[in-house]
Amino acid sequence: MVSSLAVDITPSSKAFKLFFNHEQIRTMSRVKRRTTHPPYWHVLKNNQRDDEKISSDNLRFVREVIQDKYKNKSPIKGSDLGIEKTEWDPKTKRSGVIARNIGMQHMWEKDGKKIICTVLQVLDNHVIRYVPPEEYANSVIGAKMFKNRKPLGCLVVGAEATNPDRFTRQYCSLFNEVGLLPKKRLARFIVTPNAALPPCTPLTAGHFVIGQAVDVYGKTIDYGFQGVVKRWGFKGGPASHGATKFHRRGGTIGTGRDKARVWPGQKMPGHMGSERRFNRGLKIVRINMKYNIVYVKGTVPGPTNSIVQIFDTILPRRKFTEAPPHPTYFPPEDGTLPQEDIWDSSLHVFGSPSISV
Amino acid sequence: MAIVEHLASLLRKPIETSDEAGERSVSTQKTEDESGNTVIVAPPEFRFMYPEFLPDPAPETRNRLREKLERMDMLQRRSVIEIPEFYTGSIMAVTVADANSPNKFARFVGICIQRGGSGLRAWFILRNVVDKQGVEILYEMYCPLIQKIEVLRLERRLDESLLYLRDALPEYSTFPLNMEQERRLNNSVVPINPIKVKLRPRPWLERWERQNLQGVEDLNLPQRFYDKAEKVAKPWEKYDLMLHYRKTIPAEEQEKIFAEVHSQLQQQELKRKLRRRRGFDNEQ
Repeated sequence: MVSSLAVDITPSSKAFKLFFNHEQIRTMSRVKRRTTHPPYWHVLKNNQRDDEKISSDNLRFVREVIQDKYKNKSPIKGSDLGIEKTEWDPKTKRSGVIARNIGMQHMWEKDGKKIICTVLQVLDNHVIRYVPPEEYANSVIGAKMFKNRKPLGCLVVGAEATNPDRFTRQYCSLFNEVGLLPKKRLARFIVTPNAALPPCTPLTAGHFVIGQAVDVYGKTIDYGFQGVVKRWGFKGGPASHGATKFHRRGGTIGTGRDKARVWPGQKMPGHMGSERRFNRGLKIVRINMKYNIVYVKGTVPGPTNSIVQIFDTILPRRKFTEAPPHPTYFPPEDGTLPQEDIWDSSLHVFGSPSISV
Repeated sequence: MAIVEHLASLLRKPIETSDEAGERSVSTQKTEDESGNTVIVAPPEFRFMYPEFLPDPAPETRNRLREKLERMDMLQRRSVIEIPEFYTGSIMAVTVADANSPNKFARFVGICIQRGGSGLRAWFILRNVVDKQGVEILYEMYCPLIQKIEVLRLERRLDESLLYLRDALPEYSTFPLNMEQERRLNNSVVPINPIKVKLRPRPWLERWERQNLQGVEDLNLPQRFYDKAEKVAKPWEKYDLMLHYRKTIPAEEQEKIFAEVHSQLQQQELKRKLRRRRGFDNEQ
């Protein structure tokens, strides 16, 4: 009956939204938004056994073994790179970085305008392995991603080295090839083959350029089970004037006529937050090389002290025009230290004289 | 050389606040910790003189590294401009760069009625009555547009927040805009002004009878107001140790924070005093 009309008002068409007053997006209602368990191909990560009654001598021995196994490695120099020096081109996709959102700070621009910046601490990132495009296209996720496209490689990066005692043997074995202390966090970054990095390469705040735009991925703040007013922005009911038990409720959930049931995707109370989101096109305004800190103009998904991933932006008008540190940043060979605190040209540096307009 | 020694002796004198008058007065001291290494301890008055160095106590937003970086930025800004010690009730003058002013600078004199914020977000509100119109301006202490902050009269009042001046008679908030800096009689103690302010007749902006104000004259309200205030009051809150613990930074952490910034602040103070003394000598 609906399709016999001159205007196509099936739910997926644009006219549907013009014709009907309600703008609820019902097509995504069946998609599962969050899980509390990891994918089936992940190995068990955290140590499941209880604290056994190990004697103090044995405990000391275990610690010595760990120290011997994971002796400190010297930092990788650019000249030690296993692969040939590759050229950067505008279509290159570089690796991203795992960072922690450590809070927000105010900064001021040169004309006195105040901006809010998020402070991101780039953790101790190391490349764990590189999966070439042909191999990655055969994996579960890779096949889905590159169904009708040219496949790209995948870089597995880890951050936050921890005591191997916390993890299972299977999880620690992921790091055996590299010889690094097991990392608490792992992430995959899709890279073009010319931006591939050898295992054990450290990634630092110098990977980014001042003034570049980045995308930050994170999981939003978990608000728990929330009502309709906070979750969907409903107006609720009047606070007084005789309203009986109708202050923060949803009201009507459908008409009696059309379809005669509640449509899927109807906005109702439920779990809010803890969802994967990207904030795109955020500008890097300041980099602190000593503490590996990146200051990003704007806000980032997730609460303070949560883990985020930072990538070069995909927004077409804010991409790189000049070559960035490719494939990543390495400290200069001659041992000169980089500038510790790098500011964007539009920002007022705190040690400089007051602004006069 | 004599000047430096004289200034050094000035700094060694205790700068106690009125609250700590009578208690032990300590200046910069080097104590020994358990391992026997000398540890620099800032004077306890620092938590009143520089309250914005203490972070927001809410644990969800705390991160030691970010707080440390913020303190470094604050010290950088303080090296450029002098942000003097002031309290609620002090009369101050702030000069701000303003594109719309004829001189490109705008100067405002007022009494500080409230201060808050932590880190680079620290702010204070100045109030004055100009042409019979009450004016309040909120200034962010670390904003780079601020050219100069002067404390014309350094004193404290009986309350931490003077928002009741909005409901008081205008003479209590009026200060001449060309007021000059007053010399401090006693450099070591910040005086408390025990003035009791007279409020205008009701209606008021807030229910002042419920707020236990010390600096206000008897409100002369009907008894029913005081009865309702008693009913609504929470007298058990002063016994709630965890509530106060959650609202403040623990003393050990405060000591660590001020020990970190203390030496830099002292150096800046010394440089400024030398510059002032040199300028005075040059004039002579």
